[in-house]
Amino acid sequence: MAEVKQKLLEKLTQKLAGKILQVQTTQNGKLFVKVKAEAIKETVKNVFEEDEEAGISAITGIDLESKIGVMYHIRLSGTVVTLKVEVGKENARVATITDIVPSADFHEREVADLFGVTFEGHPNPKRLILPDKWPKNLYPLRKDVETTNLASSLETLENLYEEEDSSEGENMVKIIVGPQHPALIEPEKFSLEVDGENVKKVIPRLGYVHRGIEKATEKRTYLQDIYLVERICGICNACHATCFCQTLEELLGLTIPSRANYLRVIILELNRIHSHMLLLGHTGMEIGYETLFHYMWRDREPIMDIVEMLTGNRVLASFVTIGGVRRDLEEKTTPKIKAELANLRDRLPFYRNLFENDPTIKSRTKNVGVLSKNDALKLGVVGPVARGSGVKMDVRKDEPYAAYGEIPFKMITYDEGDSWSRLMVRLDEINESINIIEYALEHLPTGPYRVRAPRIIPEGEALERVEAPRGELFYYVKSNGTAYPERVKVRTPTFANIPSFIRIAEGGNIADVPAIFASLDPCFSCTDR
Amino acid sequence: MPRVNLLKWARLKSPWVLHFNSGACNACDIELVALLSPRYDVERFGMLLEPSPRHADVLLVTGAVTRQCAERLKRIYEQMPEPKFVAAIGACACSGGVFEGNYNVLGGADKVIPVDVYIPGCPPKPEAIIDGIIKLLKKAEKKGGNPNG
Repeated sequence: MAEVKQKLLEKLTQKLAGKILQVQTTQNGKLFVKVKAEAIKETVKNVFEEDEEAGISAITGIDLESKIGVMYHIRLSGTVVTLKVEVGKENARVATITDIVPSADFHEREVADLFGVTFEGHPNPKRLILPDKWPKNLYPLRKDVETTNLASSLETLENLYEEEDSSEGENMVKIIVGPQHPALIEPEKFSLEVDGENVKKVIPRLGYVHRGIEKATEKRTYLQDIYLVERICGICNACHATCFCQTLEELLGLTIPSRANYLRVIILELNRIHSHMLLLGHTGMEIGYETLFHYMWRDREPIMDIVEMLTGNRVLASFVTIGGVRRDLEEKTTPKIKAELANLRDRLPFYRNLFENDPTIKSRTKNVGVLSKNDALKLGVVGPVARGSGVKMDVRKDEPYAAYGEIPFKMITYDEGDSWSRLMVRLDEINESINIIEYALEHLPTGPYRVRAPRIIPEGEALERVEAPRGELFYYVKSNGTAYPERVKVRTPTFANIPSFIRIAEGGNIADVPAIFASLDPCFSCTDR
Repeated sequence: MPRVNLLKWARLKSPWVLHFNSGACNACDIELVALLSPRYDVERFGMLLEPSPRHADVLLVTGAVTRQCAERLKRIYEQMPEPKFVAAIGACACSGGVFEGNYNVLGGADKVIPVDVYIPGCPPKPEAIIDGIIKLLKKAEKKGGNPNG
């Protein structure tokens, strides 16, 4: 891995002579390259030429007192390279990279919302995540902005949200899905413009679940933040906690005991199993197959019981902490866990047969919502959505964390790229996860399950990635040497996958929208944070 | 023969519930969906998850109320026919929870609409949610009058 980075750095320095201002390497070898703001477009282009499977992981804004920093985290050759630029606070402007990397669209709009950076040449510079009635020129993540005395009565504020332009057409009908809709458990609004049965345009409105968690982390200590970031998403809470703790452990230079690493793998995989089963059942509901929902959710309950046995709570585990995990696995629960997992494994062939042969599922999902490998790469999708389109991408393999480097498992990919293959990836991953947990239980090392960690984190910055059930989860933490973080950035998998929904649904049939939507497994509390 | 108010009787025997997430982290929501699954099966109490506010008797709110959701929550409440009842599920819907004080969060559900029962927990277990709704129905019986009286 180190060689790849060295080579890349050499190539970049050659190509960008004079434009690179500073090169840094973090403790676990992540590259941070500071470049001139004028040269960002060219630099991004050069980096993307290095790897045809490169994609944008995240764009982070950061307040640097007198300036605003913009960081482009680019995923390539199994690692992440960060390009940094700095722009003035008064007139924060930087050129857009959406013409080179179309998937940067949402990322740039988010930074524009929260930091007030104008991305020159952005095709659609509209409000993304802040509420309709949010005052103009108030950028909540800037340090000098005070939001505590913001009017709590909504009537006094002006509605500043501009809807995207509707397309013209004689028979065009606008169907609004959400924010309260039986098919969406979470509030989010999608306006579908349909001509007869065909969907012509999808206009998403995000931000209904935006709780300002990134800002809130700055007001709490690192220890409190673990519980806060867990509550970004209740479904994949252990992934959030693990990823956050990993960045802190990197900053502390802390090596955690191998028993803790194995226990982390167990909770992460339990998260994955319950999340995938939840989704497969939910898909059943969406395509009018309620029996499948009831079967899946019945078989999911034992997994929740295991989580409860292991952590003390069914959903929000609060299991992972800085320096390890908070509880040890009790000897007597191991056989129970194994028995329940074996039961679930016995049920899987039944579901496989169902998904492969049942006419309802086949006709609703096969060849529906096809996302080609090319499009998947271009749109920067992650996780099962990418793997369902044949993209070999899995953080557990690319950059093994916790104990994944020591545990053998297969990466599941399907080449069809339709809704069916995305669901099959998840079904097969349940089986792999069971194998991983069983292996981890068999090979669980003895010894301590946590080490004490200091409460003050030394100055520095770190980024980490974790493979959440929905794909690559990304955390960036900057510490200023106190007990409170300077900046925490979270890029969740659904945030990267939403643009693909727009692409797939447009041009399709209105009746297929629920099936397509479910197959992408969107999680809006993750998306909005 | 005692006189029975059929409407009141039916409402208490089979409350139709509507779920609205006003900014939750999904934890309460999946526990709420788990209520419908075979292990908990709330339909045996006559409870039915109803997609339209116009048909609902009980509104189940999960999550802290975000600025963007507040108006919608109010509108949904106003769309429900009288008599209507509200249950706030989870610490966030009760008081704002860990998100209290964030720039985009107004607080608990009671900042926007009147709440009848509070079901604490992060997230409350499905059993706790069932217990809360049963308590709500007892309250509803008092509020709406005894159907047998």
